[in-house]
Amino acid sequence: MSGPRDIHSYLAEFEDIPGTRVYTAKRARAGYHLNQFAMSLMKAENRERFKADERGYLDEWPMSEAQKQAVLDRDYNRLLDLGGNIYFLAKVFSTDGLSFVEAVSTMTGMSVEAYQAMMQAGGRSPEGQRSKKEGR
Amino acid sequence: MARITAGIACSHIPVLGYAADQGKADEPPFKLAFDGFEWTRKWIAEEGRPDVVILVYNDHASAFDMNMIPTFAIGCAERFGIADEGFGPRPVPDVIGHPDLAWHIAQSLILDEFDMTIMNDMAVDHGLTVPLTMMFGAGVEAWPVRVVPLAVNVVTYPPPSGNRCWLLGEAIARAVASFDEDLKVHVWGTGGMSHQLQGPRAGLINRQWDNDFLDRLIGDTQALRHVQHIEYLREAGSEGIELVMWLIMRGALGRETRALHRHYHVPVSNSALGHLVLDPVDPTVPPSPTLEGNNEAAQAAIR
Repeated sequence: MSGPRDIHSYLAEFEDIPGTRVYTAKRARAGYHLNQFAMSLMKAENRERFKADERGYLDEWPMSEAQKQAVLDRDYNRLLDLGGNIYFLAKVFSTDGLSFVEAVSTMTGMSVEAYQAMMQAGGRSPEGQRSKKEGR
Repeated sequence: MARITAGIACSHIPVLGYAADQGKADEPPFKLAFDGFEWTRKWIAEEGRPDVVILVYNDHASAFDMNMIPTFAIGCAERFGIADEGFGPRPVPDVIGHPDLAWHIAQSLILDEFDMTIMNDMAVDHGLTVPLTMMFGAGVEAWPVRVVPLAVNVVTYPPPSGNRCWLLGEAIARAVASFDEDLKVHVWGTGGMSHQLQGPRAGLINRQWDNDFLDRLIGDTQALRHVQHIEYLREAGSEGIELVMWLIMRGALGRETRALHRHYHVPVSNSALGHLVLDPVDPTVPPSPTLEGNNEAAQAAIR
């Protein structure tokens, strides 16, 4: 009644959305330890240990080197590519004392001020942002 | 008999919880967002107050991590603590449950072939507490209602389809109607509206699509059952998918609704804020195809 009948076309359509990484099972699988590392920062004592020695704390987790480096670089788009999910990555930027607006703007290539101004003006228009293929 | 007296849709934008907690709800830029709830607070105080709210929300990596991802989970505990989301728990009261109703709904839904995850020890995050604040105001000593939390996975794909959510709502309506205590019950659908918190497209807001969505929750149209995940993603942003949770609320209200109140405000931090109060003018839902209906097709399938 509703929903695509074919799982492959269901998943393939997600790749057609500009500037968006849909958190599919494939990403969830690749990012499992990355996201669980981020989740560990919910505990104050873990935040302290991470802040004292980021590299050492990351080395306690079975994450890929690329994932560890992207955390050290706070490269959030790269982290999304490597299986990070934004609600988990939020634990990392909260540890840094950043708000969602401050952290999210780093993924857009805009300054925080420019991003905030865009939001105040009503947000990013969906025009041209719906489909890469169809350019709409 | 318990009965569903209203449905409420409400975004659960974290910064509004923060603003309320800090006493900044009357200050720009938050005032316009809060003003749209004045009607609802008055209505609840005068006539609309329920005994119990079935509060549909999603957890944001607070109670559930990647270790455990239930599609539909129902909170059956006596009380639910407030989650620490990284800045300490919000200074709001614990949420008091209604275990008898919650367990009744859980049993009824499972017999109706919705295989629920049952939760007891579960902290609730802004997804659940911000709507309570919007409806009951800041600084309350105790929430004036009991709450049955119903958590939906809208983080890891695939989330449930819109149609599945609508069907769950209908099953919730049957479950409530078969509870043998005289209770007024609200169903609240939370999250949304358009927003995207990730990637180069972050900040997307779609006022037109959001308002069309609000329109289609009113009256007897069932068009929203058929909106696919890809449309939410394209039109309402990656986090706009939370809107499927509103369809659980809508499904629970039955055949036809009437809007008592409507509020839409852009932006609140990264999101579009939407809010609707719906009156179930014709609460009829179809009979269960399994538990109650025991119909021929079901019998044929299991013969």
